[in-house]
Amino acid sequence: MRPFIAQISRDLDIAWQNRQDVVVMLGFFIIIIALFPLAIGPKSAMLQSLGIPMIWIAALLSSLNGFDRLFAQDVRDGWLDQISLSALGLGWYAVAKAVSHWLTASLPLLLITPILALMLNIATTKLPALMTALLVGTMALTLLGIIGAALAEGARRSSALIAILVLPLAVPVLIFGALAAATDDGIISPHLMLLGAMLALLLAMAPLVAATALKIGETESGI
Amino acid sequence: MFDYLANPSRFIRLSNRLFMPICIITVICLAYGLYLGLFSSPADYQQGDTVRIIYIHVPAAWLALFGYVGLGLCGLFYIVWRHPLADIAARAIAPVGAVFAFLTLITGALWGKPMWGAWWVWDARLTSMLILFFFYLGVIALANGFDRPERGSRPAALLAMVGVINVPIVKFSVDWWNTLHQPASLLRSGGPAIDSSMLTPLILMLIGAHGYFIIVVILRMRALLAERRLAAMRLRSGA
Repeated sequence: MRPFIAQISRDLDIAWQNRQDVVVMLGFFIIIIALFPLAIGPKSAMLQSLGIPMIWIAALLSSLNGFDRLFAQDVRDGWLDQISLSALGLGWYAVAKAVSHWLTASLPLLLITPILALMLNIATTKLPALMTALLVGTMALTLLGIIGAALAEGARRSSALIAILVLPLAVPVLIFGALAAATDDGIISPHLMLLGAMLALLLAMAPLVAATALKIGETESGI
Repeated sequence: MFDYLANPSRFIRLSNRLFMPICIITVICLAYGLYLGLFSSPADYQQGDTVRIIYIHVPAAWLALFGYVGLGLCGLFYIVWRHPLADIAARAIAPVGAVFAFLTLITGALWGKPMWGAWWVWDARLTSMLILFFFYLGVIALANGFDRPERGSRPAALLAMVGVINVPIVKFSVDWWNTLHQPASLLRSGGPAIDSSMLTPLILMLIGAHGYFIIVVILRMRALLAERRLAAMRLRSGA
C-alpha cells in the first residue's frame, strides 16, 4: 500500500509544480461549454434541454487532455523500468496514475460544473443526478484514458491517436452517463447503476490492459 | 498446424495450393449469385427491386464482423504465442474489414433512404456498426502509429482483442433493443426467414464474398511478407 500512496503523492507533487496546467484545462472545458450557446442560439428552453448533453461532451473532450503525456516522462527517465521491478508493479502503477490524473484533471472540472449548469439554465433540482453521473462517468473515462495512453505511448501524434482509440470505447459511458444525468427518477437511476457496473468492469480490466501495453512498450523500445 | 505455418515459406506454399480452387469457387458463386440476385430472383412484394441491395449489404456486414473476429484472434495468437504470421494476417485483414464495414454502412444508407425515409437513423444496429468501423480505424492507426513499424504490432493486437467486445453487441443489437433495423433473418432460432428464391442467391453471395475476402487477405499477406523479406535483404546488404 505504501508504494501505491507514494506513487500518487509523487504525481500530485509534480502536478502541483505545474499547477497552471489545471487552469488551462479548466479554461478548455469552460470555453467548449461557452461555445455551444453561441452556435445554437441563446434561447433558454433549448439550452435547458441541451445543457446536460453539452456538459457531457465537454467533459468527454476535456478528459482526453493530458493523456498523451501521462507516461512519457516516466518512460524517458527510467522510472517505469524501476516500477516494473519494484513491489508496486505496473498494474498498481496504472491505478495510481489513474487516481492522480482523476484528482488533478477531473475533480476541478466537477467542482466548476454547478456554476456552468447555472449558466446553461439547468434546473437546480437536476444538479444532484448530474453531479453523481459525472462523478462515476469521469472515473470510467479516466480508466479508459489510461488504456489509450498506455497503448499509444511512444507513438507519433499520440494525442490524436488516443482520441481515436478512446472515444469509440467511451460511447457506452456517454450514453448511460447522459441518461443518468437527465433522468427524473432521482439520483440512483437504473442508468447510473449500469454506469457503475461499467466503472467496476473498467476498474478490473483497465489496469491489466494498461500494464500489458506498458510492458510491451518497455520490451520493444529496448531493441 | 499453427507451428507448421510459423514458417512463412510454408504458408506461401500452402496458400499457393489453395489459391486457385478458392478463386474458382469465388468467381462461380459471385457470378451465379449476382445473376440470380439481380435478374432471376423475385422483387419483394413491399420493397420492390430495392430488396436486391440485400445481396451486397448482408455479405458485407457478415465480413465486417467476421473480419473483426479474425483480427481479434490474430491479436490473441500474436500476444500469447507471438505467432509471426498473426501480425502479418492482422495487418492484412484490418483494411479489408474496414472497407467491408464502410460498404455495409453505405449500402445500408442507400437502402434506408427509400425504405425508412432516412439515410441514417441512430438506432443500436447502425450505431454499433459505426463504432465497429471506428475500431478498425483505431487498430490500423495504432499499428502504423510508430516510427518503427513492428513497434505498433503488439499494441494493435491488444486493442483488437479489447474491441472484440463490440462484435456480439453488433450481432445482437437488433434483439436487445427495439431497432428500426430488422432483426436477424438468417442466423436465428427456427431457421432462415427468407424464401428459397431469395435465400439461394444470398447464400451464394455470402460464400463468394467470403472467398473474395480470403483471396484479398492472402494476396495482402504475401505482399507484406515480400515487403519484410525485402527490408531484411536490404539490411543484410547494408544498403
